[in-house]
Amino acid sequence: MVSTPEIVALLGVGILLTALYLQSESFVDPLISGIAVQSLLLAALLGWLAWVEGNVDLLLLATLAVGIRAVFIPFVLRRQIRAFRWRVREIHAAHRVTGHALAAVALAIVAWFVFQQTLASVFPQPGAALPFVLLVEGLLVLATRRNTIVQVIGYLEEENAVVYAGALFARNFPLFVEVVVFLDVLGVVLVGVILSIQRDVTGTPEEASLEELAG
Amino acid sequence: MNPVPQVVNVLQALTVLLLSPLLAGIASRAKAWTESRRGPSIFQPYRDLAKYLRKETLVPDGASRLFLVAPVVAFGAYLVISVVVPIITPYPIPFAATVDFLGGGLLFGLAGALTLLAALDSGSNYAALGASRSVSFAAFAEPTLIMVFFAVAVITGTNNPYVTNNLLASSVSAYVSPTHLLVTAAFFLLLLAETGKLPVESPGLMELGMIDDGRIFEHSGRALGILRWNGWLKQFLLYSVFLNVFLLPWGMFAQPTVWFAVANIGVLFAKLLFLVAVVVVLEATVAKVRLFKIRDFLALSFSLAILSVFAFAVLGVP
Repeated sequence: MVSTPEIVALLGVGILLTALYLQSESFVDPLISGIAVQSLLLAALLGWLAWVEGNVDLLLLATLAVGIRAVFIPFVLRRQIRAFRWRVREIHAAHRVTGHALAAVALAIVAWFVFQQTLASVFPQPGAALPFVLLVEGLLVLATRRNTIVQVIGYLEEENAVVYAGALFARNFPLFVEVVVFLDVLGVVLVGVILSIQRDVTGTPEEASLEELAG
Repeated sequence: MNPVPQVVNVLQALTVLLLSPLLAGIASRAKAWTESRRGPSIFQPYRDLAKYLRKETLVPDGASRLFLVAPVVAFGAYLVISVVVPIITPYPIPFAATVDFLGGGLLFGLAGALTLLAALDSGSNYAALGASRSVSFAAFAEPTLIMVFFAVAVITGTNNPYVTNNLLASSVSAYVSPTHLLVTAAFFLLLLAETGKLPVESPGLMELGMIDDGRIFEHSGRALGILRWNGWLKQFLLYSVFLNVFLLPWGMFAQPTVWFAVANIGVLFAKLLFLVAVVVVLEATVAKVRLFKIRDFLALSFSLAILSVFAFAVLGVP
């Protein structure tokens, strides 16, 4: 019989695999599917913990993860691609699959090493490093991609890492805080979509001021 | 002295030697069905082999003795591997103690390196092209193989394939552990690359995509027959190791008698047919990737292999 820690470990590694996929895929549509799958795995993890512990708060979070991150946000992002076909893949920077995949693995190892040196004594349970690794992988997506939708996906990955960490370590947080994380992402996606339309299509004078903010 | 282990040893070697062309014939026939062709007989590889062994062997001008010796030594290496890995028994047979996983990998490497040297020795541009491509991709495939060995060592605490087989067959927790699942996926991708299957390679002599067939371009007659046989042996051995050690470690009879070993040949062949079906369906559904994208495919395999060890480090369970 497979135990709860083993199921949590399997789902955690599944989430990590989706992070690797998000690094190595060039086309935006599969990336949206990738983040949806990652959110579904996260929801499954939350749902399983809710089932085992009889925790209604976690069940609500799992439902929100499915509704907002696996269905609604991917739907909004896909509409963006249909409206602007040239956004269908990374065009600004040469996205090399081999380099990105290996960089993702190397970064995961570095993140784990940093976690071991800093936070492992506070969070000693097995798999505690995975949310931290996921957070760093999301940062790598943000740092290496130029396509706006892909950057939104990187941000979503980071938020998934926050919720994942919350599910593992911060059960005593008020539900309100957890829900705000989800709504926060929703707001960011909507604002991001509006800004990207303004920047990419209208080419308004605001673009120059936005460019100042580019890293 | 109990003669049973020695008889089983010989039986295992004969199983690999005699059934490897049949497996290739079945795979070829099944692939033809997916392409709405009737396809060659499943016994065609035996006829090809008999034809090659009868024909005259031609040696290019300037080629050394290595050109003819290398295929035979490579054949010997595959023959040694066939008596050291779990193929028709879940318990070690007499020669199994000779090498572990790493030793098996080195023997595969020896066979591959000799074939490469023979290709270069021919002085042919096409053979050199095949050798060059093969080495370029091996630079990514070999680290994956090493990481697979590490993962196996992590799971069982040893590099012995028999121990791995027994542990995975008896423990559900070990079988569903992330380390095992990831290393199985990595090994499967490596298997496709090493045996020249789609999406990595479309077998044939089209110079735009040929890799393994390029290396044996200049060989003919008996030498070519042995090289072809080497290819079938390699496929049979890798498939058997993948099935018995990683994917389907169950089903083999553990009683150390000749009759149960014979029964295990049937079990093994049923597993092999399943894997052939999976590979044929895969080949019918995926397109060949461009030559320069093969590196990406192998990088994915390598990443999965690293993650399998990484999962152990992070989760603390095999």
